Amino acid sequence: MFGLIGHSTNLEEARNKARLLGYEEYARGDLDMWCSAPPQLVERITVTSPTGKQIEGAYIDSVFVPEMLGRFKTARRKVLNAMELAQKSGLDITALGGFTSIIFENFNLLQQQHIRNTTLDWQLFSTGNTHTAWVICRQVETIAPSIGIDLAKASVAVVGATGDIGSAVCSWLSQRTGVAELLLVARQQAPLEALQLQLGGGRILPLEEALTQADVVVWVASLPQTLSIDRESLHRPCLMVDGGYPKNLDSKVASDGIHVIKGGIVEFGSDIGWQMMAVAEMTNPQRQMFACFAEAMLLDFEDHHTNFSWGRNNISLERMEWIGAASVRHGFQPLGLEESQARLVNV
Amino acid sequence: MPILEPNSSAAVASRVDGEELPDFTTAQYKDAYSRINAIVIEGEQEAHDNYISIGTLIPDQAEELARLARMEMKHLKGFTACAANLGVEADMDFAREFFTPLRENFQQALAEGKVVTCLLIQALLIEAFAISAYHIYIPVSDPFARKITESVVQDEYTHLNYGQEWLKAHLHECREELQEANRANLPHVRRMLDRVAADAAALGMAKEDLIEDFLIAYQESLTQIGFSSKEIARLAAAALVG
Repeated sequence: MFGLIGHSTNLEEARNKARLLGYEEYARGDLDMWCSAPPQLVERITVTSPTGKQIEGAYIDSVFVPEMLGRFKTARRKVLNAMELAQKSGLDITALGGFTSIIFENFNLLQQQHIRNTTLDWQLFSTGNTHTAWVICRQVETIAPSIGIDLAKASVAVVGATGDIGSAVCSWLSQRTGVAELLLVARQQAPLEALQLQLGGGRILPLEEALTQADVVVWVASLPQTLSIDRESLHRPCLMVDGGYPKNLDSKVASDGIHVIKGGIVEFGSDIGWQMMAVAEMTNPQRQMFACFAEAMLLDFEDHHTNFSWGRNNISLERMEWIGAASVRHGFQPLGLEESQARLVNV
Repeated sequence: MPILEPNSSAAVASRVDGEELPDFTTAQYKDAYSRINAIVIEGEQEAHDNYISIGTLIPDQAEELARLARMEMKHLKGFTACAANLGVEADMDFAREFFTPLRENFQQALAEGKVVTCLLIQALLIEAFAISAYHIYIPVSDPFARKITESVVQDEYTHLNYGQEWLKAHLHECREELQEANRANLPHVRRMLDRVAADAAALGMAKEDLIEDFLIAYQESLTQIGFSSKEIARLAAAALVG
């Protein structure tokens, strides 16, 4: 059985979702009430692969909302309590969605293995980052040529290059895709230099310079609200893959010749029939989901119940290939240009 | 140059974890401790009495309930020692008054022979309340109390489990009474939590943590008993919205 730990994009959306699902008291609750609320196993889900294999899983809402990010203890508690609920619910492999895995890593929750009378078993959890990295790379490989970018001649900037997903994307694009040039952008110089050494190439650049030189920009860092991008200085055509969380690139850059797609999203071949995702921020929520969630499903389909993506910078190209093959086999497609643009029209 | 947080929000800063222990010797700490400790002692005493009383309603369970009751007396002695260790005198008048609403409801249910209500009050609500408080207390407790509390909390799970199993076996005949008893008593638990919030904070225990932990233990029991997620969210809401 697979598990998905998710959360709403903000308190207002959380309250609307609660109302829709029949949790009226939660719908009326303020932030303090949500801070005290326990995690909820809100839905059981059945998914059938084109191979005929059927798996069952559960969606757990951690009752976390990004408004809690400033409350360190609350955010930590939400993540750990949701993980405990997943473990106690007998889920074999659970993906940490949205901010959950970010909080887990940044707050160093590996040190918090004991929660009440439960010892968390890390083998039961995955960040889903291997699948996310693979999906982002496939999106670059398939969409860039379709809008007239020849990757063999292209410069690809990876913003957030030294992160878990970013470094995996850099390795794949340089070793498997064979892009002409990688532009490495991140906050800290020392990890950037280590990455450059490991890749045997790539140019380290500040963000502004990288943006003026790139044909493709992969964003795997969340964008600060204050970030402003000078559209006129960008290449045309230019492909922007918004692979961070939350996804908010469209409003900053979308215009003629600049194609923005949602990175790290997959579409399943048939409707899943879940309620939770029906209120998520997807164009076709019955089929589309974060690739990290899909990773838990894939690991369950493959009976590979282990923390496939865990820790930082452990993603190998072989693992990306393995999860990619499973993704194709079980009917998942990386989100294409059309699906992303359909969303732009809707917004 | 904008500041980039690799794969994260700028709002999530890296933090080094580590609970800070309060100073157990201050007058302020001891003052708060005199009430919290008294509540714990009174809670254990009432738990003892309640299990013996429930045994009169279900005589075939009297022996097992007497065994649970004896455990509560052992806890009472342990927590009394904790106060002595810190040189604090428990404020028992405060504690007796603190438990009045739940005690009166329990006694009324007992008089009416309502075993389901009695079990909900004692074996679910009070035990879940105790479990959450002990779990939150352990990381901020003094070394002496920590050892005692750690052993007690395991016992309390046994008690919660007892009530849970009995109610699970009788759910078909007690669903409505459980819902009614929940409605009548859960708001008291919330008010009790509100009343001790300041004292608990002086001991390093946050109200927000207490409520969430209480609800996790309570929800888990209701799940085991056989309620659905939505029913439980509705039942538990009384503790959240006050």
